[in-house]
Amino acid sequence: MADTSEHALGHDGDSRRDFLKILTVAAGVVGAGAVAWPFIDALGPDAEGTAAAHLIVNVSGIPENSAITVTWNGLPIYIRKLTPQQIADTQAVALTALVDPATFNSRVKPGYDSYVVVVGLNTGAPCALEGNNPSDPRGPFDGWISPCDGSVYDPLGRVRGGPAAKNLTIPTLKFINDAQIQFG
Amino acid sequence: MSTDVKKSWLASRLPCPAKEAGSCAPMLERDAPYAATLPALITGAVLFLLASGLVLAVYYTPAHGFASIQFIARNVNSGWLIQGFHTTGVTMLFAAVYWLLFRDIYTGAYRAPGELVWLLRVKLFALLLLVGWLGYTLSDGAVSYWSLTDATNAATGLGGVAGVIGRWFFGGPNGAGTLARLEVFHAVLALAILCVLAAGRRAARALALQAKPSHPVSCHPYYTSQTFAAFSVFALIFAVLMFFAPHYGLNPLNAAASDSLIVPAVLSPPWYLSPVSAVASTFSSASGGIFGVIAMLAVLAALPWLDRSAPNSKRGLFYRLLTGLLLLDIIGLGLSASYPACTLSGGLTAAFTIWYFFHFLVLTPLVTALEAQ
Repeated sequence: MADTSEHALGHDGDSRRDFLKILTVAAGVVGAGAVAWPFIDALGPDAEGTAAAHLIVNVSGIPENSAITVTWNGLPIYIRKLTPQQIADTQAVALTALVDPATFNSRVKPGYDSYVVVVGLNTGAPCALEGNNPSDPRGPFDGWISPCDGSVYDPLGRVRGGPAAKNLTIPTLKFINDAQIQFG
Repeated sequence: MSTDVKKSWLASRLPCPAKEAGSCAPMLERDAPYAATLPALITGAVLFLLASGLVLAVYYTPAHGFASIQFIARNVNSGWLIQGFHTTGVTMLFAAVYWLLFRDIYTGAYRAPGELVWLLRVKLFALLLLVGWLGYTLSDGAVSYWSLTDATNAATGLGGVAGVIGRWFFGGPNGAGTLARLEVFHAVLALAILCVLAAGRRAARALALQAKPSHPVSCHPYYTSQTFAAFSVFALIFAVLMFFAPHYGLNPLNAAASDSLIVPAVLSPPWYLSPVSAVASTFSSASGGIFGVIAMLAVLAALPWLDRSAPNSKRGLFYRLLTGLLLLDIIGLGLSASYPACTLSGGLTAAFTIWYFFHFLVLTPLVTALEAQ
């Protein structure tokens, strides 16, 4: 009799101990996580860094046939507004005539045909391209020209001649509305 | 490949010494007090300070020390929390170390065969004082700036070998590059603290293995659960202090930016440096202050040889009373450094300093010898 009750008590104590063990370990894990989180959080970018990585630029003031330069992620970004003539001309170019074939639609965002956004660094000898102002030298394709190795680009940023063999890089971006684009 | 084969492959190439010796002492005396977990808590606090210090070091700019701490507190994600971890962590660490040292003095744990453990604890305390002071100067506030300026001027003006070391350490008077080098010393010496802790744990473990317990219990789960329970209380006190008294024991004037043309009215250091700072201030010259601090630590280190009682003998009532007086003396030293310098506080500081040395150099040998008879 005494034996069974003792046994039952022991069994009860065991399951209670298991429960307490699980409870303690669970609370410990939650506590450790709560302490670890600030360390992880503190090493991430702060609000200023996050904002800089998702730069918003107003493009409504760019005159046709010229480009502005903004710095994003340490890169010079050229945002150019095309003329209707330039749109028609670049759409008419046969892909076989291109060094690095790319369609018109792959170089602009759908619905915003008149804006070309590229990283303004020559893909040959890396240096900043000329041609943002209508008065700048632009090369034979009315786009950009590299002052370093003479590579030429069309208004869409496609390479058309010179040592460079790759089109200008298009950064990650989206149009928030007709006036603003957001990078990143 | 089965797990067994994998284990033996690794174990044969990289034998794990902890596994061979058993990571926990096999059998220990039962009913150890909770205060016996203090070394483990100190190790935990040091690791916690290393982790939060690493995050602070990512954002700290020595050329604009004060401004960069404002940046950490305001702009860095959870930066205020990490900074609070570091500030309050230091308070918890020093509280544990002061308690540990005092407990050793009270119980006589420093006597043979515990001398080496005691020496390593005094060394840990000395290193902590230096690293704590370096961290305090890195805060670049109005008060710590003057603490650093006074120290650099004193150290670079010393003659002989001490002056050479001082000029090497500070690289000349307090200037543009001083905080940058002190940041490096702060971090490197923090790693040295880890080494001292590891050596202390090995020495304490060797003692535990020698002892023949009369009521043996296994380390796990008895002492692991005790350590976790102590750690929970330690962490709870830490959290309460951090969230309700984040500037505990700090001079509020240090919350202002440093100014080379304004000396704050009260130049008191953080509470954990106060007793040592008070002893240093008793001596009028800079070299005297350095001598005072070294002497203060030296008599602590010499304690196993100043004590004339037999190892493991019980402490007498008079000795225990004196230890209580020593505690009050240390608290008095700390308090006297926290008030503006005046004739009264200067006299009290001198009296407390004299009592400190009198306790260790005269009373301890005398009373322990008398009580041993």
